[in-house]
Order: sequence, then structure tokens, then C-alpha cells
Amino acid sequence: MSVVFDEFGRPFIVMREQEQRQRLKGLDAQKANILAARTVAGLLRSSLGPKGMDKMMVSPDGDVTITNDGATILNKMEVEHQVARLMVELSQSQDNEIGDGTTGVVVLAGALLEQANRLLDEGIHAVRICEGFEKACEVAVAQLEKISDTVEFSKDNIEPLIRTASTTLSSKIVHRYKAKMAKIAVDAVLSVADLDRKDVNFDLIKMEGKVGGTLEDTELVNGVILDKDWAHPQMPKEVNDAKILLLTCPFEAPKPKTKHKLDIKSADAYRALYEQEQKYYRDMVKMCKDSGANTVFCQWGMEDDSLGVLVQEKLPAVRWVGGVEVELLAMATGARIVPRFEEITPEKLGRAGKVREVQFGTTKERMMYIEDCQNAKTVTVFVRGGNKMVVDEGKRSLHDAMCVTRNLIKDNRIVYGGGSAEVACSLAISDYANTITGIEQYAIRAFADALDDVPMALAENSGLPPITMLSNIKARQVAEENPFIGIDAMGNQEANMKSALVFETLAGKISQIQMANQLAKLILRVDDVLASAGQ
Amino acid sequence: MSHFMQPSVILLREGTDTSQGTAQLISNINACYAVGEIVATTLGPMGADKLLYSGAGKATISNDGAEILKLLDIVHPAARALVDIAKSQDVEVGDGTTSVTLIACELLNECKTFLEDGVHPQILIAGYRKAALLAVNRLEELKVGVADLKDAGEDGARVLLERVAGTALNSKLICAYKSLFAPMAVDAVGLLKKDDLDLKHVGIKKVTGGSVMESHLVRGVAFKKTFSYAGFEQQPKHIKNPKVLLLNVELELKSEKENAEVRIEDPSLYQSIVDAEWKIIYDKLDQCVKSGANVVLSKLPIGDLATQYFADREMFCAGRVSDDDMERVARATGAQMLTSTNDIPESAIGNCGLFEENQVGGERFNYFTECSATTSCTIVIRGGSEQFVEEAHRSLHDALMVVKRTMENSSVVAGGGAVEMELSRYLRAQARTIEGKQQLVMTAFAKALEKIPRQLCDNAGLDSTDILNQLRKKHFEEPEEGLWFGVDVNAAGICDTFKSNVWEPSANKINSIASAAEAACLILSVDETVRNPQSEQAQMQQRGQMGGRGGGMPMSQAMGGQGLRGMGQAMGGRGVRMMKGRGGK
Repeated sequence: MSVVFDEFGRPFIVMREQEQRQRLKGLDAQKANILAARTVAGLLRSSLGPKGMDKMMVSPDGDVTITNDGATILNKMEVEHQVARLMVELSQSQDNEIGDGTTGVVVLAGALLEQANRLLDEGIHAVRICEGFEKACEVAVAQLEKISDTVEFSKDNIEPLIRTASTTLSSKIVHRYKAKMAKIAVDAVLSVADLDRKDVNFDLIKMEGKVGGTLEDTELVNGVILDKDWAHPQMPKEVNDAKILLLTCPFEAPKPKTKHKLDIKSADAYRALYEQEQKYYRDMVKMCKDSGANTVFCQWGMEDDSLGVLVQEKLPAVRWVGGVEVELLAMATGARIVPRFEEITPEKLGRAGKVREVQFGTTKERMMYIEDCQNAKTVTVFVRGGNKMVVDEGKRSLHDAMCVTRNLIKDNRIVYGGGSAEVACSLAISDYANTITGIEQYAIRAFADALDDVPMALAENSGLPPITMLSNIKARQVAEENPFIGIDAMGNQEANMKSALVFETLAGKISQIQMANQLAKLILRVDDVLASAGQ
Repeated sequence: MSHFMQPSVILLREGTDTSQGTAQLISNINACYAVGEIVATTLGPMGADKLLYSGAGKATISNDGAEILKLLDIVHPAARALVDIAKSQDVEVGDGTTSVTLIACELLNECKTFLEDGVHPQILIAGYRKAALLAVNRLEELKVGVADLKDAGEDGARVLLERVAGTALNSKLICAYKSLFAPMAVDAVGLLKKDDLDLKHVGIKKVTGGSVMESHLVRGVAFKKTFSYAGFEQQPKHIKNPKVLLLNVELELKSEKENAEVRIEDPSLYQSIVDAEWKIIYDKLDQCVKSGANVVLSKLPIGDLATQYFADREMFCAGRVSDDDMERVARATGAQMLTSTNDIPESAIGNCGLFEENQVGGERFNYFTECSATTSCTIVIRGGSEQFVEEAHRSLHDALMVVKRTMENSSVVAGGGAVEMELSRYLRAQARTIEGKQQLVMTAFAKALEKIPRQLCDNAGLDSTDILNQLRKKHFEEPEEGLWFGVDVNAAGICDTFKSNVWEPSANKINSIASAAEAACLILSVDETVRNPQSEQAQMQQRGQMGGRGGGMPMSQAMGGQGLRGMGQAMGGRGVRMMKGRGGK
């Protein structure tokens, strides 16, 4: 910002480091902000839909990420521009809340701002545009609720959940195996879901990944997988019908927490101490053994001597298991966590059908499988893939699918994808616009145009003529009074998304439209950008 | 101060910049005006927001005058006075921070011609003080108490509060959702103790993600899941009629005394010390269990051992709960915070209808709801981006403050520039009864008040001159019916804003006029600034260390009708730094 002069020509400084500050005011600021936001939206546009392309991001230290997930792309791009960062946060919010549709929400926000830009050119006040957008958004949400369908599902009938999850996965790298992946995602969510309270805690689903094999080898383990191996190579590799003991104390002589000192004055005392330590080790293992446990997982370390006793007693054990894993083990096997040896009782043991150490291919890497747990309240999804990028993308895709499933458990209403819902809303908003007098009418109509951008992008990415397709769909939706006609991106000759089984959650779609609208308003209302330079 | 300026005597360090007289005064006024211009466009329902960002990547989008001024990091000593009045308005009333800045700027601007014509600043100060007094008295007459509301029906008080909150939200980003937030603000304040409306008992939790429509009021407490140890997931997450125990005790296996050292001779005694330590923690845990509570919260950490102990007994626990959350839980459930687990009295255990852990966005939240006699509550704000949620928080804070102030003195005036027009008319009429220069000064004050409706029009893109003329005519010709006529930004004309429910608490207006006048008088009373460059540099460093907290002290002392005296102290105490003294902090 330039220096201000008073009437006598003397400069005065109002703000700190005033000369270095930059200020952009009025229409210029609005235009610059819109341009920045649109640039971000433009980047993601080609990732939308089942035929969307992936992006490759290389981090400063050379890590490569390949993904189709909007939130991840924006996150890894490390956007610096303030307004562009808002778009990044937008997609992350959608990711946190819904987990899916992170690309769509950014594309929609970009489209809304593009339309707003046009209206600003026509001289309409930004607040008026916001008001129009808000009204249009309400109409869109109402229309979505009107055209939504309720899907019924239960633990036995999970078909609708799988279909919705498949729709999410169809734009991802894993789509070749989407039937299998969707089933894994749905099963995983259902096994930890509290259907009465409609609550799903994702902390209870563990995602493990390992390079090797193919995506098809991805599996759902009804238990836990640990990136650990047996404490001693001579322990049995496999335990069937395992009775599991979880310990949070080390296999060592007990130590007081208070600062202490032991004065040993004679060789006898020293010997006595040694004897006592050895006795501790034997007692500890004995106590474990007496409870009937045949597998021990310990959060801490094991003294070499006690390890020897364990091997002698043929009690397989795993050491240095992380706190989170201990908890998951407890949830999976039904074991209670035991804080000291004196408290071990048979009731505190957990059960698993099988505990085994698995070696992968020709590598020396080993992992522990604790599987076939009865009544497991936690599950593990084990993702395999040819390289790290595929494994990571597989994890993200499965996460998206699980989020969608969770949303359906929360609210079992769906709308149909392929841009059909957007077109239906666009039509409803256009009709509504005709009933409004005043400047808002322009803004409302602009909102409808912005919604059209989503099916346009879908068509574009699928190699179809966007304008022709959009007008076709619109015409058919009106003529057939069928709000389910969308873009046939897969080339199945089936434009009715209901019969093509392209499901999306209503909650996700509403959230997309509302959040895009709110963000567009946030950006539009800013007419003054003050930046302090440097630092 | 004249002896400072003796040409032959060097009193000040080299490089000291001094300037004085009318020129300095006008320079100060210009600086204030430059600041006022920055916030002017945020006024009113059609006002725009500002995006401020520092190089460190922290961006803020705000419509709140006080917040913007704070972030501008103003160093000009005179202009800082404006920041301070905006702050004090924020602290006192919560809303109207832009208005107060604008009025102060306009008051100063009106002075400029007088000063150039050679009127002594003290005459202006006297005139402004008098005018401000008259305006405040007139406001006291004009304000409409809740008892006078005829159309509101039985629930008059509530309607009044909701409308006031709605007006506060009108200019904000979340104005489209005021039907959600205005009742929420009223409900939230309504839950507090009537004689102790402390807003710290209204917790506000911000969770990004989701639509702003999913923001909700929890009649009880909600807080984010604290850091948990292994075993936490085995605890129950849904308890009906929980009994809540609040502790300020560390439940962890640890050395009890920091510097104690144990010496033992016999290795067999080793075990006894270990056992003693375990006994201490187990005794504590046992006492918690015996108290009958099934939800244990502690301000201090609850370790993994305790977590598992409670999990085995179907109890829920959370450690490291923040202070204010603990206090809210105490108020919501009636529990008392204990500093020891010995002899837990029955009365210290709180209860509520339901405890559960829920997913909010990407976070897990603990909810205590269905509290029968809660005097605290929590508002969870959702929104698509951090900036959105932050701004929603600021806006909601304004609404809460306004509701609180209105509850305390339950009287309102009409907004939309109506009350300013009325005061302006009144002051013009009063001015004619005064002889001398004061007449002109008072007229200037009246004119300055018109800045509010004028800026409302300008921000909405309306012809302000035209509308102001309509308003002046209306107020002059129909002092009774036209009393509450203000700017109608939607229809580009004028309307009775009282009827269209644009209400503001009268305390807001009284405070803003009084403090704007005080600030103007303060700036007018300064005719010399001596700036010592080196001390300024030292200050900058100091400020840098303080992490650019900005702001400065609230002006309430200096603004409390003793502008001049405040200045005098600053001079006496800090020698040549004079006015900079205030900027320092």
C-alpha cells in the first residue's frame, strides 16, 4: 500500500510496514479472488467422474503420489494463494464430513464463481448475487430431497450399500475390482457400526498396506494385522485357537517409579539379587502359562533371560506392540488389557481362531495375522498392490467407499449420479427463477447454469460432446418427467441412472451444493484484500 | 511543552521527530480517516468482507470492525485510538464496532475545516462533549423497552431478543442463516444463570466440514475427544443417566514425590516398594469406582492403567479435559470439581440425561445432554472452511453479546440509520438554541452522525445524497411517525426500520456515540507528537517477540471521560515518548 500524504505533503505511516503492504480493493479484488479459485477448480475438472484422469504429484523430497481424489490432490499441491487455499479447505471439509465428492464440490464452487464473475461484470452487487445463490441453493436442496430414494438395507441385505460404494469406486484406480472392493468396504463398516445409534467409529477400522501382490489380493481380516514378528525365531509360527494375553508391563523385574538405589555390599547379596531376578522371570512366565494363555502380546520389551524362559515354556510372544495395536487387539479378541502379572486371570484372555506369522513372497518381511475372531469389534483391511502408489491410492479409495457406506447408515437416502441430480436441480431452479422479480433472478439462473457444469465436465471427461449431451439430458428429463436421466459416461447405452445403478448419497450431494454455495459466498463478499508482504 | 522547542538547547536525542500545532492535529485526523475508510465498506447488510493475510500464511476473512482493525496492526499513534475504541466497543457491547469507528472518523473529519479556520481545539472538544451528552440523553428517551412492545404478544421478550440478534447478524456472512443462529443465540444466553450472564459458559466449538446449517446448540456440554490411551475403545460410549465425577487429579502410575529417593539394602524389599506404588494408584481408582460415578473426567492426565481399570468396570473416562470444558460440565451436571479422591461426597457427583460419543465431521465428540438444570451450553459451529467457521464464530459472538446486553437492560432502538437520523435532527434543533461557535460544532456533530445511513447507502450501491435527503425530510416533517425511518437497502428507499424488525440494543448506540465522541476529543486534544526513532525500534522488537499480538490495552480507562488526563499520565511517565506510550504495550 502506498504511503499516505497529509495536506502539507508530509507522509504519515498508519500501519506497520506500510510501504510493503499490498492492497487490492473493490471489483479488482473480487475478480482476482475469483480467478484464483477458478484456477484451482480448473485443475480438478479433468479428474471428475468414472473416466476422470489421475494426477501425479511429486513432493519436494521426491515422493510420488498418484491419485484421483480431489482432497488429496489439493492437499499435496501445497497451494499458497489465500483464496485458492479456501478451495483446498473446501475439498478437505467435504472429505472430513462425507469422504466422497471432493472433486465435485470444487468443480461446482468454481462454476458458481465463474457465473458470479459474469454477473459482477453486469454490475450486480456481490451481496445480491449471494442472496440469489442462497435462494437457489434452498431450491436445489428441496429438489434433491424430492427426487431422492430411500434404500432399505440390513445386516443381511447389503446389496444397496455395495452398489453405492461401487459408484464411488468407479472413478478410482481400483475400479477393475470394484465389486470386491465395495464388498470389503461395506463389510468393514458394518462390522464396526452401531446400527441403532447410526454411529460408525472409523478408529476401529485399521488400514494396513503392503507393497506386493495385486490389488485383487486385498482382503478384509476379521481381526488385526500387526507389522511385527515373534519375539524369538524358535517360537511356533502358527497358533490355532489362540488364547491371547495382552500385557502392558515389560517382562522384567518390577521397578518402582520413585527414584531408588540399591546398595549391594557383599557378593552374597549380589547372588541373592540375581536369584531373585531369575525367579521373577520364571514366575512371570508361569503366571502367564497358568492362566491358560497360549499367545502373549506385550506392549513393552522382554529381557533376554525371560525370552529364554518363554521359549522353554513354549509360550509364543510378541513384544513392542504399539498402544493403538494393543487396543485394537483387545477390541478384536475381547481380551482385557492386563497391567501387571499379578492380575492375570483366565477371564481376561481374548480369543482368536488363528494367530500366524506370514512371510511375503521372497522378502524377509513378516507380519502377524490375528484372525477369525469371534464378535470382533474391530477389523483390518489389508491392501496389496504392485507398488506403493497403488497401495496408497487403494487405501484412499477404500476410505472413500467406507465413508459413503457410513453416510448411508446415517441417512439411507440416495440420489442418482451421472449428473442426473444436478440437471434435475438446475431445471427446478430455472423454473423457480421465473417466479422471482428483481435482480436475484439473474443470480438464481446463474446458479442453475453453474450446476450444469458438473454433467458438462462428466461428459467432457468421457469424451462425449458436452453441450449436445447436456441439452439431450435436459430435454429428456423434461419430456419424460424423469429426473434420473444422466450422462452415460461408461458407454452402457443406459442413460437412466436408476437402472444403471449409479448411486450417490443424498447427504453427500446436499453437502456438496451447500458447501460450494457457502464458499462462493465467502469469496464473493470479500472486496478488499490486505496483505502484509515478506516474512 | 514550549521549553522543549528552544532552538539553542538540545533536549532530545538526535533523530527525534517532532511536529506540533495545527498541522500535526490535521495530520492525525487524516491518519484516522484513512483507517476509517478501510472499515467503512463493511458496514451494514450490504457491506463487504475483508481478506487479511500475513506472509506467514494466516488468512482471516472478516466483517467485524474490531477484528479488522486489530489485524491491520496500526502503528500510527493517533489512529491507534480508533483501534482502541473499536476494541472497547467489542468488549462492552460486542456489536457496532464498525459504526463506532466510522462516527469517530467523521467527527474528526468535520473538525478539519474548523481547525483550518483557526478555531481552538478546546472549543471543539467542549462542543462535542455537550453534543454527545445531549445525544445520549435523547437516546435514553427514545429507547423502547420490552414492556412497550404491543405486537409481540406474550412472548415479547423472546421476540425482541431474536430480532436484536437477527439485526446483529444481518451484516455478516451468515446472515442467510439468521433464522437458525438468532434463536440459537437467544437460547444459549437464556440457559445461563439470570444474574450471571457470563458468556464464557457458552462454549463454542468449531468443526470444519459439513454445512453451516448443521451447526447446533447443545443444551449441555460437548467437547472433542481428548487424547486417549489403550483400552479407551473398550469403555462404554453411550450411558443413560450417567453419574459424572470431575477430578483435578492425575490418575497415573508415577513417582509420588518428585525428589524422593528410596534406598534399600535387601533385594527382597524391592517388591514392597513396587507394591506400595501400585497400591496408591489402585486406591485412588477404587475410590472413584466406589463413589458410584460412571463417567470420570479429569483436568490432569488419566493414564493407560486407569483407562483400562475403568474399561473393565464399564466406566468412561477422559483426561486432560480443558479448564473451561470442565467448568461447563460442572455447571451442566451440577458436579463439583474435586482435588482428591478421598471421601468423595455424594453431592459432588453430577448427573445428566445422556452421555455419548458422537462423530462430528472428522472428529469424535463427547456429548453430555439432557441436563435438567444446566447453566451452561455449547454451540457447535460447522462450515466448509476454516475461515468460514472463524467468521461464523465472530458473528455469533456478536449476536450473543447483543442478546446478553439486551437481556440486561432490555431496551432497543431501530437500526438501519434511523436512530442516527433522529439524533441528527434533534441535535440540529438543539444547536439553534445555542449562541456562539458551539452552535456550529454541534451542527457538525449532527452531520457526522449521518455518516452511518450514508455509508449504508454507499455500500448498497444506492444514491446516498438522495436517500439522505428523503430521510431528513421525513424526520423533520413527521417527528412522530417518521421517528424510526431509516435506509431500506432492499427497496433502495426509506422505510420504518422499527417495523421491519431492524432492532439494536440501545446500550450499543449509547456506548458507540459516547466512546466515538471521547476518542475524537482525545485526538483533538493532542497537538504535538514527539517520536523517538530508537525507542520505536526497541518497541518493534518487543512486539515481535510477543508474536504480533497487536491490539493494545482496552481503552476503557482512558476512554472513561478522561481523555486528557490519560494523555497527561502517558507524558509524565515516559518522557519524550508521549503518545507512543500507548502504542507500545
